[in-house]
Amino acid sequence: MQPSDNNSQECEGQSLAVIAEALYLSNLLLVPGLSFAVLLWLHLKHRKHESELAQSHLYETVKASLWVGVLLVVVNILIFLMGGYESANTWLVVIIYFTTVHSAFVLLGMLGLAKAMACKVWRYPLP
Amino acid sequence: MQYQSQAVAKPYFIAALGLFAGQILFGLIMGLQYVMGDFLFPEIPFNVARMVHTNLLIVWLLFGFMGAAYYMVPEESEREIHSPKLALALFWIFLIAGALTIVGYLAVPYATLAKITGNDLLPTMGREFLEQPTITKIGIVIVVLGFLFNITMTVLKGRKTVVSSVMLIGFWGLAIFFLFSFYNPENLVLDKYFWWWVVHLWVEGVWELILGSILAFVLIKVTGVDREVIEKWLYIIIAMTLITGIIGTGHHYYWIGAPEYWQVLGSIFSALEPIPFFMMAVFAFNMVNQRRREHPNKAATLWALGTAVMAFLGAGVWGFLHTLAPVNFYTHGSQITAAHGHMAFYGAYVMIVLCIISYSMPLMRGRAAANPPKAQVVEMWAFWVMTISMVFITLFLTGAGILQIWLQRMGDTPMSFMAGQDQIALFYWLREIAGVGFLIGLITYFISFFVGGEEQAS
Repeated sequence: MQPSDNNSQECEGQSLAVIAEALYLSNLLLVPGLSFAVLLWLHLKHRKHESELAQSHLYETVKASLWVGVLLVVVNILIFLMGGYESANTWLVVIIYFTTVHSAFVLLGMLGLAKAMACKVWRYPLP
Repeated sequence: MQYQSQAVAKPYFIAALGLFAGQILFGLIMGLQYVMGDFLFPEIPFNVARMVHTNLLIVWLLFGFMGAAYYMVPEESEREIHSPKLALALFWIFLIAGALTIVGYLAVPYATLAKITGNDLLPTMGREFLEQPTITKIGIVIVVLGFLFNITMTVLKGRKTVVSSVMLIGFWGLAIFFLFSFYNPENLVLDKYFWWWVVHLWVEGVWELILGSILAFVLIKVTGVDREVIEKWLYIIIAMTLITGIIGTGHHYYWIGAPEYWQVLGSIFSALEPIPFFMMAVFAFNMVNQRRREHPNKAATLWALGTAVMAFLGAGVWGFLHTLAPVNFYTHGSQITAAHGHMAFYGAYVMIVLCIISYSMPLMRGRAAANPPKAQVVEMWAFWVMTISMVFITLFLTGAGILQIWLQRMGDTPMSFMAGQDQIALFYWLREIAGVGFLIGLITYFISFFVGGEEQAS
C-alpha cells in the first residue's frame, strides 16, 4: 500500500463504491436478500460505469455476496444431512460458522468499505 | 520524545508488562485446574488463581492506561506534565499496594484477608472482580484522584484537543463509576444492579473512550492524516459507544431480579453495541489507507489495526452472540461468556495498551522514531502468535460453551454441572494448549525489546 495524496477528498465513483460496500454489509448483517437485490440492480445498471473504482467495488461485492449465499446453502445442506438442527454438533457447526466464516466476510466488507472511502480499488480474496 | 516529563510513562508500561506476564501464568495454572482439579492444591486453589488472573488484568490495564495518558497528554497539551514527581509517587504507591494485595490473596485465606484488612468496618469484599480489600480500594481511589488531578491540570493549562478531552472524560468516568464498588447493599438484587455500574460501565462505557482516544492518537502519529478527520470519527464513535453502552447495561439485568422491561431494553441496546466497534475498524483501516506518510513504526500500525479488528470480533461479534435475552436465557454464565470475555479484553484493551507501548517505548528509549526493523519483525511475530492463540482460546471456549449449554440446559435429561464439565474436558485441554501458545507469543514480545540492529530513518 502506498501513502495517499487524496486525504478525505471525493473522487469519481466513490459514492457508488461506498454504497456497494454498504449494501454488501447490509446484506450480511441487517437486511439479507433485499440489500443483495439492490446491489445486483446497481451492478447491472452501472456495469459500464467509467470509473474503475465504482466498477471494481460493485463487481467484487456482488461476487462476495454470491459466495456468502452459496456457503450458507452448503452449510444448511450439511446440517440437514447430519440430522437437522436438533443436535449439539449441529449447533457447534452453526455457531462456529457464523462467528468465524460469516464474520470473516463481514470483516472483508469492512476493509472494502475503508478502501472505497479512501478511493482505492479492492479485490476480495476469493476465486 | 517532545517533552521530558513523558518519560514517567515508562515505569507504568514496564510494570504493566510485568503484571501482564503474571496474569498469563495464573491463567495457565487455572486452565490446568479445569482438567486437573487438584493441580497446585491447596497452595493455589482455583478461586484464588481466578481472582489473581482477573485482578492482575484490571490492574495492569490501569497501569497501561495511566502510562498512555502520561505519554499522550503532554504532546496533546503541548506542555510538560503538571507534576512528574506526583506521577512517580503514585506509580510506586499503586505498584506496592497492588503487589501487597496479590501477596495477600496468595498468602492467607480470603476470609482472613478480609478480617485483617478491616472489611467489617466497610464491607466491600467478596464480589467478582471487586475482591480487593477495602483498604486497597481506598488506595486505588487516592491514586486515581491524584492521577486525575495531574492530568486534568496539564490539560487545563495547555492546548485542549478532542483526543485529550475524550481521554479525560474516560478517566473521570472510570473514577466515578469505581465509587460504586463501595456500595454494598444487603439486598442481592441491588448489589448486583450497582455492581454492574462498575464492571459494565467501565468496559462497555468509559474504557471505550480511553481506547478510542489512544487509537486516535496513534493513528494521527503514524498516518499523518489531518487531526480534524480523525477527531470527527472519534466524536461519532464515542457517541455511539455511550448511546448503546449505557442502556446496554440492561443485558446484565435479565435474570437478577430487576424489572422485566430490561429484557427488551437490554436486548435492543446491546444488539447495537457492536456498532462503535464496527466503526472503529472501518475508521482505523480508512485512516491507514488515507495515510500521508510511511511511518517507520510498522509494529505500532499493526497493533492499531489489530485492536480494531479483534475488538470488533471479541466485543462485537462474540458479545452479540449471547446478548439477546432469549439466547442469554440459555447461555448465561456459560463458557460462551468466558469466550467473549477473553477475546473482547484482548482485542479492545490488551492490544491498545500494547499498541501505545509499541509506539511510545522506542521514543522513550531514545530511538528516533521506531525500533530497528529486526526488533519490529520479532514484535510482529509476537503479535501474530498471541492473536492467533487468542482466536483459538476463544474458539475452544465457544465449543465448550455450546456443548455445556446443550448438555446442561437443553437436553431431555439435563446433566449436572460437574458431569457436563467432564464431557467438555477435551475443549479445556485444547484451550490450555492455545494458552501455552499465547505465553510463547508473550515471551517473543518481551524478547523483541532486546533485539538490536540499525534504526530505520524517520
